[in-house]
Parts: sequence; structure tokens; C-alpha cells
Amino acid sequence: MRALTATAAAALAFTTAALAQPVQPFNGPRPVEPGWHAITGVTAHTAPGQSVDNATVVFRNGLIISVQSEGKAPRGARVWDASGMHLYAGLIDPWITVDAGKLASDAPGRHWNPQVLGERSALNDGGLDDDAKEKLRKMGFVLAQVVPSDGLLRGTSAVITLAQDNIKSRPTPAIVRERAMHVASFARGPRGRTRGGGDDESLGYPGSRMGQIALVRQTLADEQWYDAATDAHAQHPDKHPRPDPNATLSTLHESLPLLWDVTDELDTIRAAKVAREFDREIVITGSGTEFRRLDALAALDVPFIVPVTRPETPRVEMIADRDSVSLRALMTWEQAPTNLRRMIDAGINVSLTTSKLRKGEKFMPGLRRAIEDGGLTEDAALAALTTAPAALLDVSNQFGTIEPGKSASFVLVDEASLFDEDAVLREVWIDGQRHVIDEKQAFDLAGEYDTAFSMGGVTGVLKIDKGPKITLELPPLEGADDDADDVNDAKDTEPKPQKFKARKPSQNKNRLNFMLDGKPFGAEGTLSFSAAREGDALIGTAMNTDGERFTWNATRTGDLTKDDDDAEDDDNESSDIPEAIAYPLGAFGLTDVPAQGTVVITNATIWTCDAQGIIENGWLITSGGTVQAIGSGAVPRVPAGARIIDATGKHVTPGLIDCHSHTGISSGVNEGTQSVTAEVRIFDVITPDDIDWYRELAGGLTTVNQLHGSANPIGGQNSVVKIRWGCEAPDDMRFDGAIGGIKFALGENVKQSNWNSPRTRYPQTRMGVETLMLDRFEAAQSYAAEQKDAHGPVPVRRDLELEAIAEILAGQRLIHCHSYRQDEILALCRLAEKFNFKIGTFQHVLEGYKIAEAIRDNAIGASSFSDWWAYKFEVIDAIPYNGAIMHDVGVVVSFNSDSDELARRMNTEAAKAVKYGGVSPEEALKFVTLNPAKQLKIDQWVGSLASGKHADFVIWSGSPLSTFSRCENTFIDGREYFSLVRDAELRSTAQTERSRIVQKILADKNNKKKPGKGDGPKRDIPHPVEAMSLTHGGHIHTMTELETQYLWMIENGIDPADVQCGDCGCGLSSFFSGSN
Amino acid sequence: MKNIATTLLATIVTTACLLATAAHAQDLGISAPPQRAPIVITGATVHTVAGPIIRNGYVVFENGVIREVGAGRAPRTRGARVINATGKHVYPGLIGADTIMGLTEIGAVRATHDSSEAGDITPEVRAAVAVNPDSTIIPVTRANGILTCGVLPQGGAIPGRAAVIRMDGWTWEDLAISADAGLVVNWPNMRPITAWWMQQTPEEQLKRAKERLAKIDEMFDAAEAYADARSADSSLPTDVRFDAMLPAMHGDTPVFIRANELEQMQSAVSWAAHHNLKAVIVGGRDADKCTHLLLRHKIGVIITGTHRLPGRRDKAYDAPFTLPLRLETAGVMWCLASGDETAHERSLPYQAGLAVAYGLPEDAAIRAVTLSAAELLGVGDRIGSLENGKAATLIITDGNPLDIISQIEMAFIDGREIDLNSKQTALDKKYREKYRQLGILPSQQSSGSR
Repeated sequence: MRALTATAAAALAFTTAALAQPVQPFNGPRPVEPGWHAITGVTAHTAPGQSVDNATVVFRNGLIISVQSEGKAPRGARVWDASGMHLYAGLIDPWITVDAGKLASDAPGRHWNPQVLGERSALNDGGLDDDAKEKLRKMGFVLAQVVPSDGLLRGTSAVITLAQDNIKSRPTPAIVRERAMHVASFARGPRGRTRGGGDDESLGYPGSRMGQIALVRQTLADEQWYDAATDAHAQHPDKHPRPDPNATLSTLHESLPLLWDVTDELDTIRAAKVAREFDREIVITGSGTEFRRLDALAALDVPFIVPVTRPETPRVEMIADRDSVSLRALMTWEQAPTNLRRMIDAGINVSLTTSKLRKGEKFMPGLRRAIEDGGLTEDAALAALTTAPAALLDVSNQFGTIEPGKSASFVLVDEASLFDEDAVLREVWIDGQRHVIDEKQAFDLAGEYDTAFSMGGVTGVLKIDKGPKITLELPPLEGADDDADDVNDAKDTEPKPQKFKARKPSQNKNRLNFMLDGKPFGAEGTLSFSAAREGDALIGTAMNTDGERFTWNATRTGDLTKDDDDAEDDDNESSDIPEAIAYPLGAFGLTDVPAQGTVVITNATIWTCDAQGIIENGWLITSGGTVQAIGSGAVPRVPAGARIIDATGKHVTPGLIDCHSHTGISSGVNEGTQSVTAEVRIFDVITPDDIDWYRELAGGLTTVNQLHGSANPIGGQNSVVKIRWGCEAPDDMRFDGAIGGIKFALGENVKQSNWNSPRTRYPQTRMGVETLMLDRFEAAQSYAAEQKDAHGPVPVRRDLELEAIAEILAGQRLIHCHSYRQDEILALCRLAEKFNFKIGTFQHVLEGYKIAEAIRDNAIGASSFSDWWAYKFEVIDAIPYNGAIMHDVGVVVSFNSDSDELARRMNTEAAKAVKYGGVSPEEALKFVTLNPAKQLKIDQWVGSLASGKHADFVIWSGSPLSTFSRCENTFIDGREYFSLVRDAELRSTAQTERSRIVQKILADKNNKKKPGKGDGPKRDIPHPVEAMSLTHGGHIHTMTELETQYLWMIENGIDPADVQCGDCGCGLSSFFSGSN
Repeated sequence: MKNIATTLLATIVTTACLLATAAHAQDLGISAPPQRAPIVITGATVHTVAGPIIRNGYVVFENGVIREVGAGRAPRTRGARVINATGKHVYPGLIGADTIMGLTEIGAVRATHDSSEAGDITPEVRAAVAVNPDSTIIPVTRANGILTCGVLPQGGAIPGRAAVIRMDGWTWEDLAISADAGLVVNWPNMRPITAWWMQQTPEEQLKRAKERLAKIDEMFDAAEAYADARSADSSLPTDVRFDAMLPAMHGDTPVFIRANELEQMQSAVSWAAHHNLKAVIVGGRDADKCTHLLLRHKIGVIITGTHRLPGRRDKAYDAPFTLPLRLETAGVMWCLASGDETAHERSLPYQAGLAVAYGLPEDAAIRAVTLSAAELLGVGDRIGSLENGKAATLIITDGNPLDIISQIEMAFIDGREIDLNSKQTALDKKYREKYRQLGILPSQQSSGSR
């Protein structure tokens, strides 16, 4: 290895590296240091994968001058002999949270939302205290990025050295970068406060993940406008009004990267997406579970800061424990150590952080596990602790490697590898300042000592290990083993030495203290010992139980020999961690997207829901994801290589479509904290991990309208997805070409009728609901006009809420309106007429049968429950004939689920249109196929089977309308996402994997958990962000209320997971069955 | 109804009047009068449930009781009304085994809730006395063939005593088939919950479960002592709580124990065996994991529904659909309840139908919502099958009632022909008339169904 000498570099350093000029006056004489240091004899690991043996590292005034093998220390330099030791560049932690203090809510220029604290600096409240710094130094860190610890947009981070605070003559300032990044985080509870809202956090916006995203999005948009508006005002104060000062917006204008702290891998994708929208650079502080969505994350091409965390070992000791734990939890536990290696192999730029560990977890053991079990190379680990974070923090010119010209910031270790379990960190140097980490190790006493005690003439061997741990070994007791007949157990015939473990051993530099049981000395009680080291000898005194002193002496004979029974088991688990990762991780996940081949179905009864009607003895050919041809009788020509499915006796229908679902929405279905939240977007929070997707596929469902809840009159934007189970990224589920939509809601939920909420939020009546909507339409109309008319340097402030509403007026966004009573339905119809747009759907619409002609004329259709009623007062007139009557009047009618459970059997929901009201079977099936497709304006692609349409179809064991039929295969885009055969395989795989990992945990000796103390998960419930979406129909539960309610349910045999939450769209059930 | 040719003999005039009245009474359906003349249903496929299915069979009932069931030509019965049900099916009335029928009306309106008394231990309260015979849910439910319901109070460790009701009558006394059908016990949750909403620590929860178990135990021990003391000294003041428990404690009525998780069931079963109780498990989500225990103690299970999600992520998607089959295969006595909101009780048959789609034989599914339910509710000697001497509580259908597209065409409770109309059918008629007036729907009377 070439030594880095550096005459040129050194010369440069001499001329340019002047001493930092302190502004602060000195108290007394100024300290003068010659400033030259040399660490000699050390193995210098100058950069990952590079080292210089027997190096002399010379530095002055905090800067490295030279690194040279067998180099000479300059005259006058302090020489630090580090023979046999190893020197690494100081480690860098890019994510350390600090309390950055509060901002007064009424301070001039404060942003209206208390979660938006963009102007705050991590250094506001003193930065990092010295205890925290010392903890980091002890792990070898020299530099950290500190970030404010609370809020959504938290303020700016800073890069600081971890040098001890009270070093007076610090040659370089501790602050390396005062403002490094703009910090955002999903981690803290999303609840902020409403504008002007008191201390009641529970009422705050944003109350959901999508709300958090929307608020960041709006703030970034505001920043762009704010800048332009400020400039324009400065130039032409006469023409452009002065914008309200806003400190967050002006701070955000500084083009620093966004540093976004996420709670899981899906949030990563969400954060990156928002940053992209505004062309902002982004860095992710990850979760440690990146491996669960690795391909999608690698595609983002953003740097990551990652913790080395691993979930707690799942409890599997008791049968009931084992039943409860999910394969996803088991796999996440097993795979966690591979996370870093997988990320780096995938080409992701990874830096490590010591933060974000579970309680009780430690950084270095976690990192070692990633190396030993996970396959991470030491070089990669070192890079992720030095060069990568240095580049990330834009301090590569100062930190990250040991090179001339860079900061003299090092870790000195006395074992070959920093990552070795036995490695002892001796010293950390920060900008040339020495910090002793493990002084007593500098007086290493470890070894074996022949020892003689003056009391009782006892002699033996004293074994001193690191720590120190001290054991006294005496010869075997004579005569204890004199039974000569005992030859049966040959192994045990060899007498073993007696061992006595010292209690409370301690070391202070050259002195040693410990206690021993009096037994070997013929005394009852405990004796105290102390000694001082002189070379290889220990000169000791001791005190017996009577308080009398005696002496002892020991001479070092050599290094410690390890006992056999202390030998470590080397049966580590690294070898058998499977490489393949299924999407989503856990049972029923897929390792490959199903193939999109050519499929020929023969001999089927085909319900085309199209012009061809119901075809007996029919055939269907699909390829390339679309339907090629449909007919009856013999197939004219079977394409080569086609998969042929003989469907004799079976029925084929289009894939079912659910026009009202809350499946697969992360952390909050309602942003119910304000009456109007048109800016939030369900498609920001799609989760492909929700197991209910798979269950719905198994019921023949293929396309879903994911809706915001009904907690407020104008809710969020919808998301139309296909259930592409096993896809890489959430957006892979989105239905290409589907028009945007938005949730509206009327009646009891939005006026907060059924909950004990304070009766202050507008509206509290149906009168107010209508008025509020009128007002927003008017506002949006003005907004659109302003946008259109805006010319010149200042754009009209982009208002994401009004933008969405303006799109409704422009016919570019469909309203899906939760509704019950005829009066409110009619009122919205009249508003639509006034503003000249067509409503998408009325949802639920249980009194639709009373006003069907208005719905027919003003909306694309009505999407109803088949037969729900009696759950609230406004459904007192709900009848199951609703669908049939509206259909007869000419409304396009669909039946929806609004329920993860019901969504699995939409085919028999359609049958209810036959039973209640006599709709023909052929038309009834359209209630869950073609009609919802029309309502979502996707009927050109799906909803019926005809040549050129998407190959989304289901094979049923019998008539799709019969309760006795079951779904056997579900195809989307010509891919078979579900089949009974495949399901059986997946069950079996899951069972095998469960057993394998459970056995692994049971065999793990390090897992010392006691069975039975079970706090194992009863249900496989994700832990959502604090309290999100406790908005049940607009009311916000306290946790205690919820707990009481759910416990009551459980005790009465009602699983909260089964509760169809009526209609509020609170999404509670998805928390119980959900997944991420 | 239009497809069933009814031959009215002696009672033609009365019946015709009744039907006419019923049609106009809208949701204020008139309770049917007692059966006055014998009724003979002929030509039907008779699903006796107790025995084999009889093709071209007949059922004769008189004074509310089944007199004869057989194949072929019905016996001539003097003065009988004969219903020619050729091509139709006759089944026993379906039974909703676990409901709060009549104790609730509108979910979100607290004033309409009467299912949960204050206090943890309230064995003294009886569901029977609070059943509202005029609940709008009753006519809607029976229109789908559910003619009997078990009504089980909720809330607390011992919520009260169950009733078995018939779905038609003027008063709750008319409705009660059994006003003290058994004691309900909610088995404490044995396994700590670690959900995001749970604020108690696992230790706190386990402690709570222990305390609740001890409370239940203490109640039973104290009641035993009370019974002894009362028999020794009848002047001892009455304790309504203990008195309420005695029939169940002495095995005269069942104890309905709500338990879903394996640990709950294991614990409940051994407790019931210890106290020598006639136990029935209600819930039974994990019942397939302890069938040997259930068989050994001859304990039946009221499964609360197939319309549920699998309890855990890893469970097969169809686990709730196949639970009935698994219990049937194991030989455990079981029936199916809906476990759903009262308003959805009418879909109970479709929950049984779903089990058929996933492998349960049709006859087992029918039994699960008829005779098995009656047996587990302790009224198997009176209803649940078409047998001589049993109540004439039955339905005539155009197909299997477990299939949604089938229609219930007639229903009889104790021989009384039941009005199948409801507020819902009335609203259907009312608003179809609106569209006829607007000229949107054709003005013929027949447009109600196509």
C-alpha cells in the first residue's frame, strides 16, 4: 500500500491552515501550544479498503500534515506511541436529534401550523449536550449532524464536532456547518393544532399521514410563490403587495436538501415523491426495514441514513405465541441484519446512524450482526460511517478519511478491526484534540498471574480479563476424588481446579480492587483485596474478616488462556438467511410478478357484461394483458404457447370493481381535522402490503376505488387501483388513465352528530353543509379565474385545496359523495347544476330511491350498500330495494363494500339486486363490474369482457351470483394474481417458513426470554403513528375511550376487526387486519 | 306469494282479509292470529332436517303443531287449508342463535340500546322482558326466513340471561319461547393485547383477567352457598343475582360462554367441567384447535359468523369460511350464528351458504341454522326440524334459503301465517308509485319485480 506522504500537500497545509481566530477574549495568559503531534507505529486505515502500516500520522493545529509509513515525527511534536494499534478516520453520525426549543406561536412570521417550524435551528437550544457527545465519542464518533426533535417540518440541521465542550483552546470551532439540511419527519405524532386552536392536540391538522404529506407539499409550493412575491414587492412595491412575512418560507428558500425521517419503507417512497415534485434534493433517515421494498427504494436514487435496528425477537415459546406471530414479523426479524448489505448491493448510498434503535439496543452489536450475519463487508461498514456521511454532509474536504489537509479526527483502536467484538476504543481525536476513551485499558492488566497470599499460605493462579473480570484458580482439592472405583466416567476423572470469582472487581489506572470469598483462605465471610502494578508484578494487600491485613503478590506469567467452557459457539445463523424477498414480505407474498402470457379459457359460461351478454359454452383468449377475442363453441385458433384452461361447468366474469373501499391506506383514512381537506391525496398513502388486498383478490375483486373517509364535507382525493398484489412500489397499483376524484360527504358524519365533539366546527347542520360547499365552489371559481388571468412575475399562490375543487368545476375531477337523505342529495344536485358540472357518484345514497331522477340527471351514478340499514338515524328509511328502484329509473347503480371483509364477496352483493327488487341476473352482475367502471370513467378499459379491454377476469366454480360459488382464479392485466392452486402453495410455503424461523429462534441460546410473560401480539396489528385516524366519523376519540370501546367489544365476542364501521370510513378495521 | 296456489277451504274469508290488511298496514304489520284450521302443504320438497329430504312430500300442522310429515299424497284433513307447493321447498324456520333482536334499534342512537346493563356481574337481568315486539328489525329479518332468535345480553363478565323468541307477537310474552334460556358469561380475555390503542401493560391486563376470573368463580361459589343457606332457612332475604344463577348452575339451562381464543376456550371448558355446567361456547374462532376438548366434554359451539376476516395475517383467507366444515368434520356439535349487527341478521342464511361454497355439505349448513341452533339454545325439542309434535314454525321457498337469489314465499310460526311485508317493502311500493306518477316507470301494478 502506497503511503500517503505529502510534501506538496503538507506545504499547502503549512501555508493555508492558519489557526482559527477566536473572537472570545482570554481570561489570563493566552495558551500557546506548539501544535505539532505525531501518532506513531500505528496501522492507519486511511480510507475504506486502504491502510498504511506502521504509519506516522503528523498533524498540527487540527489538520493532518502527513501520513507516512515509518515516517518521522517532526521535531518538537508530541509523539503518541500507538504501536500495534489501529487508526481510523473519526466516525460521523448524520442523524442525532436534539431538543431545539419551542417557538412562540404568536411570534411574528410564524407559520400558521404549529408543526411547521422551518425557521428553527437545531442549535437554537444549545445543540447537543456534552453527555450525549461523550456517548458518541465512546463509540468513535467525531462529527454529528444534529436535527430538531419534534415537528413535521422541524427546521434546519447543523453539523457539529463532538469535541468536549470545556476544552478551552479549541483550535477549530465546534460548528462545522450551521445550516445543513431542512429536516422533516413523519415520526412524531402527526397531530398539530388547528389554526388558533388551543392546547387540544387531538384537534390538530394534520391528523393523518396523507395530511402530513399535503402540508409539506403546500409549504414547499408556498415557498416558491413566497420568494417570487417578495422579490416582486421589493422591485415594485406599488404594484405588488407585501406578502405576510413567514420565517419558515424564507428559510425553506435556501436550497438545502430535505432530510426526511420516515417510519417505514413506504413512507420513504412518499417523502421522495414530494421532494421530486418540487425538484428538491432529499435524504432519507430510514427505518431499518428497507429490505422489504428494496427495488423501489433503489429506484429512488436518494441517499439514506439507516439505523442498525432489528425488531425484538418474536415470542414463540408458547403455542399460543406461535399462533399469534406473523410470518412477516418473523421474516422481518430474520432479515433485518441483511438490510445494510442488501441496500449497498443495490447501489444505495448508505450512511449509518446510532439513532433510531429500540430500547435496549446498542449500535456496535447491531453493526457487528449486520457484518457477521448479514454479510456486510467491513469496508462497506466503514464507508457508511466515514466517507459516505462526510459526502452526505458536504464535509468530505475535512472529514471521512485520513489524508493530509483534512481534519485530524481519528479513532484509535487496539484490535485489528474497529468492528471486532474485542476491539477497545482507546482514544478519539477531534480536530487534533485528544479525548481519552478508555484510560484504564492503557494500563492493561489482562493476563495470568502466579499468586501467593500470606494468609494460609495459599497459592494459585489469578486470571484477570478485560473489564476487569478476575478469577482465582486454586489446585484441585486433594482427596476429593479418591474413590478409585469410580472409573465409569473417564472424562471426569481428571480433577478440575477450584475457581473463585472475584466480586466487585475494579481498576483505577495501576490499581486493582476486588473481593473474594473467604473459603479458600479458611475464613467465613468475604475478604477484600487491593494491589498496585509494578511492571509485571502486582503488589497486594488484603483484609480478612477480622479486619486484619495480610499481603499477597502476583507475577504475570502470560496472556489469558480461555477456558473451554467459555468458548463461543460459532454456529451463527448467517448461512441460512434466505436471499429471496417476497413482496409484500410475509405469508402470501410473491417473489415474482405473475406472467402475462396468452391464456385461452374454454367451455365456460362467460358473463361478458357487454354486448355479447352471457355466452354459454364460451371461450376467451387474452394475451399481452388484453382480451383478444371472445366467442362460443370451439375455439377457432389456439395461439401457440397459450395456457389453456378448461372451464367446463365454470363461469367467467369481468374482474369485480369496488367503488368504495378503504383497503390499503396507510395511517389514516380521514383527514378529518378540518371541514375542507381537498388537498390531501389517498394515492399518497397507498400501501401494497395490506393483506386484505390478497383476501379481496381471492374473492374476485380486481379494481378498487380507495376513498377518503367521510369525516368532513370536502375530504381528500381518491385513488383508483388495481390489486396488483406483489408489485414493487405503491404506484404500481394505480390505474393508469383513471380520472381523479374526490370525496365529499353530507349528513350526520360531517356535522359530527353521533359523537361527543364540541359543537363548534362549521357545519353542524345540513344547512351549513350546503352553504360551505357553495362557498368553496365560489372560492374555487375565483381562484381558477385569478390563475388564468395571472401574468407577470408573481404567480397566484398555488392553493392545493382550491386547485382540487377548481378541477371539479372544470370537469376534471369526479365527486364521490357520501350521502343518505334525499334532501341533501338533491341540494348537491342543485349545486352541481348551478356550477355546471356533473357529479361522479353518490355513495351509500340510501335514500337515492326517493330522488332517483335527480341523481340520474346530475351524476354518473349511485354507488350503494346493497342492504345496510339501522346503524344510524339518517338511514332509517334505508331499503334493500334502493339499488333496483334507482336502476329502474335509469341511474347507473353499483354496490360497494366500504369494508375489507365485504369486499371479498361482492359477487353475492350483486345477487341482492336480484333478490330485492328483481333486477335480472345479467344486469345485477353489472352492479359490481361495468357500472362501477362507468362511475369511475374507466369503462373503456375494464368492467366488461370485450376485445381490446384489459384482461381482468375471474373464474368461478358456479354462477357468480350464487352464494354457493367460489372464486377459483383471478386475473388482472392477463396475469394470474390468485388461484386456488397457487394459494395452496403459498400456504404451504408460509407454513414451512414459519416453522423454520420459529425453530431458529428456539435454538438461539442468546434468546433468553422467559415464556409465558407473553406480551406477544394478540393480533397482528401495525402500530400506526400515534393516534392517527382516531377520527371515527369526525369525532376524535381519546385513546382511553378507544381502549374501553375495543375491550368491551372483545369481551363481548366482537372482534374490532370485524366491525363494519358503518360508513364513516374511519378505516378502523384496516388497522386490525392491516399490515405495514 | 303470487306463485303459490293456495286453496282456501274453511278459513278462506278470514285469511284473505288478513292478507289484504297486511298489505296496507305497511310497517305496522299485524301479528298473525292463532292457527284456526289445519294446514296441509303438498307437493313440496320437504327438508325435515331431522331425517332425509322428502321429494314430493307433505306437511300437516294443526293448532300450531306439526301432525304429520311424509311423502307422496297428503292425508285428507277435514277443514284444512291446502297449500300446493309443487316445485317449492319447505324448511324449518331459520334460527338466529346469537342476537340482540328487540334490544336495539339504531346503532348510533344510544336511547335505543337495551342490551348491556351497568355493572360487571348482572346475572339478574333478563333479555326477554326488554324485547321490543314492534322493532322494525323483526319483520325485515323474518322476511328472510329467520323465525326464531336467541337473544343474549352483552356487557360485563356475566351480562345476564338469554331468551329465545319467536319473531311475531303482540307482547314480549307472546314472543318468548323461553324467557330464561340460559346464563351468559363473557370469558375474560386471557391473552394480553398489544395493539396501538391498548394502554394497559400486559401485566395489567393479565391481572385484570385474573380478577375477572376470580369474580366469576366467587359468584358461582357464593351462589352455591346461598342456595344451601336458603334451603336451610327460607326466611333468608332474597338475592336476585344468586336466584338468577341457580337454573344454570343446576344444569337446567345452559351457560353461554363467549370465548374465541384457544386459551379462553381451554380455560372456560375446564371451569365449566369443574362446576358441572351445561356449557355452550359462543364465538369459537379457534374452536378447531381444541376439538378433542370440546368432544370430551360434549360442549357445543355457536360459531359467530363466516362473514369475518381471518383473525391474523397468516391465516388462510378462507379460514372463517371453512371453520364450520372443520368442526363438522371433527364431530363437534356446532351451529352458526351471524355475529353481525342486528340489522344484518337477515343475512344469516348467506353466511351459512358461504360455508357451503367452501366445502360444507348443504344439509349440514341447513342444520346449522335450524336444528343445531335450537339444540344449543335448549329448545331443540320444540323447534328446529319438521317432525311430528314440533312447532309448525317453517318456511316455504322457491329454492335453497341459503342462496341469496332464493325467495321466501310463505312463513309460519306455530302454524300462524306470518306477514312478510315490512316498512321496507312499503317504502319500495311508495316510491315506485312516485316514479309511476312521474311517468318514469310504467303504470302497471306488476312493476315491483321483473
